[in-house]
Amino acid sequence: MTTDVTASAPTGASAIVFGAEVAQPPQHGKPGGIMRHLNFGTGLLTGIVMAAVAGWVTAALTPTSASNATFAPDEPEYVYLAVLIGWVIGFMLGMGAFVGPIRWLLGRDITHADAEYMAGKDLGVRRYFKFTTDHKVVGIQYLVVVMVILGFGGILAMLIRTELGVTWAEVFSPTFYNSIIGTHGIAMIIGMIVVMSGPVGNFIVPMMIGARDMAFPRLNALSLWLLVAAVVCLVSSMFVGGIQDGWSVYYPLAAQAPPGMLGYQLTIIVFAVSTAIASVNLMTTILTMRAKGMTWSRTPILVYGTFAASLMGLYAFPFFQYSQILGLTDRIWNTVFFNPVEGGSVWLYENLFWLLGHPEVYVILIPSMAVALEIMPVFLRRPLFSFNFAVAGIVGVVALSGLVWAHHMYMTGWAPAVNYPFMLSTEMISIPVGFLVLVAIGTFWRSTVWTRLPLMAIYAVVFNKMIGGVTGVYLSDVPADQYFHGSMFVVAHFHYMLMGAGLFGAMGGIAFFFPKMTGRILDERLGSIGLWTAFAGFQITFGSMFVAGLQGQPRRVLQFDDMFNISNWISTIGAYVIGLGMLIFLAAIVHSWRSGEIASSNPWGSKSLEWQTPTPVPLENFAVLPVVTERPYNYGVPDPYEAEMDKKDGDLTTVGQVGPR
Amino acid sequence: MTTTTPPPDAPEAPTNRPPSMHRVRDWAKRPYARSIMILTVIIGFLLLPLCWLILAAMNQSGAPASPIMEDIETTVFVFTLVSIPITAFVFAVLVYSLLGWKHVSGDEVPADESPAIRSNTIGVVLWTVVSSVLAMFLVVWGLMELASITANSYGTVSADEQPGGDQALIVNVTGQQWVWTFEYPQHGGLTSDVLYLPKDRAVYFNVTSKDVIHNFWAVELGVKIDANPGAITQTGVTPNKLGTFNVRCAELCGLHHAYMQTRIQVLEKDAFDSWARESGAGRAT
Repeated sequence: MTTDVTASAPTGASAIVFGAEVAQPPQHGKPGGIMRHLNFGTGLLTGIVMAAVAGWVTAALTPTSASNATFAPDEPEYVYLAVLIGWVIGFMLGMGAFVGPIRWLLGRDITHADAEYMAGKDLGVRRYFKFTTDHKVVGIQYLVVVMVILGFGGILAMLIRTELGVTWAEVFSPTFYNSIIGTHGIAMIIGMIVVMSGPVGNFIVPMMIGARDMAFPRLNALSLWLLVAAVVCLVSSMFVGGIQDGWSVYYPLAAQAPPGMLGYQLTIIVFAVSTAIASVNLMTTILTMRAKGMTWSRTPILVYGTFAASLMGLYAFPFFQYSQILGLTDRIWNTVFFNPVEGGSVWLYENLFWLLGHPEVYVILIPSMAVALEIMPVFLRRPLFSFNFAVAGIVGVVALSGLVWAHHMYMTGWAPAVNYPFMLSTEMISIPVGFLVLVAIGTFWRSTVWTRLPLMAIYAVVFNKMIGGVTGVYLSDVPADQYFHGSMFVVAHFHYMLMGAGLFGAMGGIAFFFPKMTGRILDERLGSIGLWTAFAGFQITFGSMFVAGLQGQPRRVLQFDDMFNISNWISTIGAYVIGLGMLIFLAAIVHSWRSGEIASSNPWGSKSLEWQTPTPVPLENFAVLPVVTERPYNYGVPDPYEAEMDKKDGDLTTVGQVGPR
Repeated sequence: MTTTTPPPDAPEAPTNRPPSMHRVRDWAKRPYARSIMILTVIIGFLLLPLCWLILAAMNQSGAPASPIMEDIETTVFVFTLVSIPITAFVFAVLVYSLLGWKHVSGDEVPADESPAIRSNTIGVVLWTVVSSVLAMFLVVWGLMELASITANSYGTVSADEQPGGDQALIVNVTGQQWVWTFEYPQHGGLTSDVLYLPKDRAVYFNVTSKDVIHNFWAVELGVKIDANPGAITQTGVTPNKLGTFNVRCAELCGLHHAYMQTRIQVLEKDAFDSWARESGAGRAT
């Protein structure tokens, strides 16, 4: 084959790739071909045009009698669905997502010059607005998209707390209030799922394992732009009635929902594809592209964390996708999967949903915990305490994460007998999670603390994680859950886990990798003020929310008895403090990104591979692929206490002494 | 390193090796170990009031009003108590790490590195054993309490199949957007939108919904179960306290979910009977 290609190629059709001459297929036009003309602008344009056309055609084709018939949804439903599908396909078309397959169908192979163009070579800032395959560009794009999603969810959170703080009036209509709680929930979940796996997983992990890019660079870009398409669907639903059923959209309530529900379903269907692609890509990269010598015991813990999150995501998201596809057909074609009156089952939906729902919280948590464990050795200047235990903890969480979903259904009456095994599995998961805590405190043990922002965030993470973990034990227990289920206590608990441990860990991670990603140091002062303001506000908000839950306030309510007033007022004040802190942190990011102190290539003195590259990181990362010869986190000095002990034991006169300690 | 093995039947050679526990003892004498232990105890005692504060918050509106709620509160109390030592220890390490051990600040990568402890068998084993024992304790406790609660709420056996079922009051609870309706089949199908219950008499709830999923939460009685459309879920309780309590919907059920609440009125047996007679307009059986 190779000779064939060379023979048929025009003269000079070979490229020098890392010193090796590689035969090239014929070059059609300039490098990049049609990709030269496609960018975010053309994506938006094509998306909007296709959405408009699809909507118009559907409106014209839907017989008016269909809206009158009792068995069919209203015409706006069809139109909105067509608009969403048109948008997703049009946007991806305009971005150039289909160029690769079409090229391949035409029998045109990609040349090295094409690939370099698509990786954004010599494109400057423009490469951030294109279907760029370079993992570092994708990482930065993810970072920006994630900040937009979290900002959007954060604004909704402020609206929710405003409503709950104003106990003497309804600020929003119940319709709008219900739609903001649902949208806040799902936006934050999506944002938190990608907050570490997106920016850090794409930008850092390939460098950390000594690879030049991800295994499938074009899939990498595809996963990012699918996320963007999905998020637009989510936001659009706000304008057609919103998601009024909480982020879990239980049936049959969701069947009553306005067309906004279609926005949710399409978002999830597209997002699940994006996640699956990203997961497969990361897992393949990690499994096959680690540098020479990087055995599993020499692989940094963040790589394990990302791998675990990808694995759980790959297992969990299909359930979510199925549940929403079934929900969509229920809605559009009147199938009755979740309609109990006609033989469907609401418990079927709940099971499918929580089969996603519980692994998903670990998809969020594990990368954040892994980033924390990655940061600690660098700033404490010592190896990670008991690396094997950290790995065991992650493996344990992955193994158990798929077996605990029905603890969300203790009170549903679905199958009371299974409460016993699910209580067992749920409480067992505290053991591997406890391993991670042990590794954290073991690494803090007797360390010299380099008090920089990334490390300080980890103190916040461990603190919040303990509180979230202990309150989780109450909820895992059926008798206690009989009081706490569906109350504000649950809300406070999962915010401690997802925000307290997840988001604060992510903030630490962003501060840590900021110099490598942007070439500048994150402003220490401003960043710390933001972090600790948010932390203080966080304790006020959710500490007080625990009290509201204990008093018996149900979640997702817009009004409540006077006995809950005080805890809600405090909670709302705290929420504004969080908002302020997050704004300051955001300001630190924006300010430092534009005009921060220029970072050296390895400002933290890390021994990890990603810091051995120059900053800004060149395309393809490593001129010569590195070879790993030692375990990670090889910092530290011999333990003085150990030496003292050995001195004491030193004059042992006789037998029984085994090898060196 | 070469090791010599003594002949198996020879007496053990004299040695100046310190007792086997000497490392642990030596460890306990280190200044930081002492400090952390003291900090753990202090933080533990500071956290201890939480056991009662949590119950105080739960009891604000009159709980516990049934054996089930008492079980729940005992569980919460025990869990808080059990979590305190481990939480206190972790917090103590965090605090001591910030205040006790050495600090470096500034832009320069610190020159003095920390001791390279890659693991510590005693620490790891101790942690694993303690956390596993605690987890096992929580599981066992939870299973026992669950069995007790299941017994107190008359399990999943429907009310008419229960032994002595005729002694118990049956209430058919129906949720619909956004009201609760309570039907008393033994009192001629009497219906009410306030849940009247007799004190010290078993009550069976047959819970269902007319439209979407609701959650029947009798807060102070510690009863909570979903009201599903097209299915009847069963639970029960024996109220043991007179007073006015709350029913709230604990599952988002649409527009006015927040307002889907009503009162529970627990009455003496006679008062309940007379209420049933009056409201039932002579239809009582």
